Amino acid sequence: MMMKMVLRRILIGIGTLWVVSVLVFIGTSILPGDVAQIILGQSATPETLAALRAELGMDRPWFVRYFDWLGNLVTGDLGTSKAGGASISSLIAGRLGNTMFLAGIVAAISIPISVALGLLAAMYPGTWLDRIVTFATLSLISVPEFFIATFMVLILAVQLHWLPAIAYLSGNESGWQLARALAMPVITLVIVVSAQMIRMTRAGILNVMNSPYIEMAILKGVPRRRIILRHALFNAIGPIVNVIALNLAYLVSGVVIVETIFAYPGLAKLMIDGVQTRDLPLVQACAIIFCATYVVLILIADIASILSNPRLRQPK
Amino acid sequence: MSKRVDPKFNPALTSYNDLSQKDKELVEDAIRTGYSRRSVLKLLAATGVTLATAQNLLSTGGSAMAATPKKGGSLIMSSNLHGPDDQLDPALFTSTIDYTRGRATYNSLTQLGNDLAPQPELATEFLPNDDASEWTFKIRQGVKFHDGSTLTADDVVYSMRRHQGEASKSVIKSIMATVKEWKKTGEYEVKAILESPNADLPVLLGLFQSKIIKVDSDGGGNGTGPFKMDSFEPGVKSVHSRNADYWREGANLDAIEITAITDPVARVNALLSGDVQLATQIDPKAIRQVESTDGVSLSSIPAGLYMGICALKNASPGENDDFVKGLQYIQDRERIVSKILKGHGTVGNDQPIMSAHGADFCSELPQREYDPDKAKFHFKKAGISSAELYAAPVVAGVVDACLLAQANCAKIGFDLQVKRVPTDGYWGAVWMKEPLNTVTWNMRPTANSQLAIQFAPGAAWNDTFWNNDRMGELLKTSLSELDPAKRHAMYCEMQTLVHENSGMVIPAHVNILDGINDKVKGMPTVPLGQLGGCEWPEFAWLDA
Repeated sequence: MMMKMVLRRILIGIGTLWVVSVLVFIGTSILPGDVAQIILGQSATPETLAALRAELGMDRPWFVRYFDWLGNLVTGDLGTSKAGGASISSLIAGRLGNTMFLAGIVAAISIPISVALGLLAAMYPGTWLDRIVTFATLSLISVPEFFIATFMVLILAVQLHWLPAIAYLSGNESGWQLARALAMPVITLVIVVSAQMIRMTRAGILNVMNSPYIEMAILKGVPRRRIILRHALFNAIGPIVNVIALNLAYLVSGVVIVETIFAYPGLAKLMIDGVQTRDLPLVQACAIIFCATYVVLILIADIASILSNPRLRQPK
Repeated sequence: MSKRVDPKFNPALTSYNDLSQKDKELVEDAIRTGYSRRSVLKLLAATGVTLATAQNLLSTGGSAMAATPKKGGSLIMSSNLHGPDDQLDPALFTSTIDYTRGRATYNSLTQLGNDLAPQPELATEFLPNDDASEWTFKIRQGVKFHDGSTLTADDVVYSMRRHQGEASKSVIKSIMATVKEWKKTGEYEVKAILESPNADLPVLLGLFQSKIIKVDSDGGGNGTGPFKMDSFEPGVKSVHSRNADYWREGANLDAIEITAITDPVARVNALLSGDVQLATQIDPKAIRQVESTDGVSLSSIPAGLYMGICALKNASPGENDDFVKGLQYIQDRERIVSKILKGHGTVGNDQPIMSAHGADFCSELPQREYDPDKAKFHFKKAGISSAELYAAPVVAGVVDACLLAQANCAKIGFDLQVKRVPTDGYWGAVWMKEPLNTVTWNMRPTANSQLAIQFAPGAAWNDTFWNNDRMGELLKTSLSELDPAKRHAMYCEMQTLVHENSGMVIPAHVNILDGINDKVKGMPTVPLGQLGGCEWPEFAWLDA
């Protein structure tokens, strides 16, 4: 039963990815201008355009190119960057590593903090602790990340010179230098993702706290702490894990603003560069990776919900 | 214009003023070349300057390069754009970051000084025949590529031929079409046989793309330049270390890193916090911030880069000469320079040549002023009362200048609609298609190439579709004119033709704005690109 459910989810995931691949391909094929035009820019002439287009194989109809591309994708060949001529796998590999590294650090810091603060706020609703947490998270959710990032750069880098303004990795820095370089992007992202996770943890648990069995437990005289950790948390885990999964996916695909402001060579920034140079294979590969990340993380979250809540194992 | 730097300051030779024995030889070498060129190139207006530069160097005191460069240290330069299309193939260079890497890694036959006069680099001498229809280049001996192989005429001929032929994808293919054939005439001698006389060929050989690479390669970072390439990641960065076997004194810095921070705010922040020492393209909004911060300075170099409006001469309303006149008179040029460009620009005169182009600039041509009455008169005479202008932010301030023109047009009852479009896809979809559109052109190294690329009859990028036979004739004949006075008269006539008859409106030239850490000294000011025409790697030094 369980396996069947998981298998179904995986199949749905693959289906989603396929739909996305079609959308991505169509979307990138109908963008105004073409790679040859963008590469040559102001200095394009009809002859150079024709020569470059032919070299890039752009004279073939789009559906032929789509199935070519899909076939290569399934076999793990992401193609060659039209702009630089480098293989896309090699372009992406390093960037994906950087992005995962940043996301990993942020996740390792933000998830424990968020769940702990969310639980604390839920344990003592209405107290000064809960109010502070609620006020702080609401404020931080409302402030866009580029504001937080730019503000921190102005204070910590430009005025105080404590931290570097950009997360510029030279590749051979010591642990301390690395920590300094990454400090500001990590702090920015931790603030951005934690606020939401704290709110959802608190809300999820308080929601469960209204159910009849919690009332029963309260009437039995079980201490509030024990009710939350023992009874409420496991029933609230589904929504919490989903929020965590969404935020992790955001850390992989949505950090473009933070990557841009700190000039961090991550995957999202590579995709933006790809869009600017109309490097379609690169944009397509990035889009598919981002989509796959979402699908996989949501899949994990779903499975976690199913595991934590036996009722979900029975299809209605 | 008074801000223009001393035209005699010559980056190619700045590091030799302490005149060690080795340096002396190099300077003498330069002088020798200057003299030998003079004997043949007395026709060329630029020669006097070149000679003066060389002599200036010998009289050690009087030159602009007073401070002795210090050796050592490293710096990080941040350009404004990079991506997976970053190149090591000089023929395909299109961006500042490519040019800078090229300048660090490779050499050219000639090197352009701050006054744009060509200096010897890999060519120790370059001599034309009597009518400049053939040029002979003596190749420097004992020059080594980074892989240890020796530079010969084969490498030069191979590198130059890559810009020629049907299949060539070279960015300067059309410019280099002036050469019919490159011939090896000796182990260290190369001859260029031209389609038609061209006295400016040595200047073209100092362009960003005219780099000399190893025969049968596509560059790949193996050059003869002052820095060896340690690593190169497109869209991330490159690391270069000093080439100890360089054929002349060479770089002062031990290592450089070249990267880009695309976000303008982040780029300025990185400069202000000292994380990078050189930052290109300072956003006009950040000028005050850079100027008011200790330890960093704004470098503002008058250059030929301009903002313009193209009125297509083969379409309404640009085909009407009075309409174009009206549009030219409504440009409040002084205000555009002082308010929109915050003083970092030069007033334009509806033709692309300006003082940075040197002797070919026609300063006699009267400046067209802001004159709403004349504009009103010409619009009325044209019988046109509204027009639609496509404006994309292709260069700093151009959209604001269009909006200013719109406001001034409204005052005289003319309805100039400014349609704002993104730069994304602009060059393919709008430029040379919509009857009124914004344009920018980078500065070209010679007045001839600057004029020819846009105003030669039938030129591929004749972006106002203005075809004037006299213009075409002058563009050709001026190239073989060796008498400075006659040459100047020809260039003046061409600038007057464009100023009076073409569909081009050029309200202002835009200075090159960069941010430089005060510790960095010895920056050249070649006006052909960011950070001294990207010439800095060999000459910059750190004053710790």
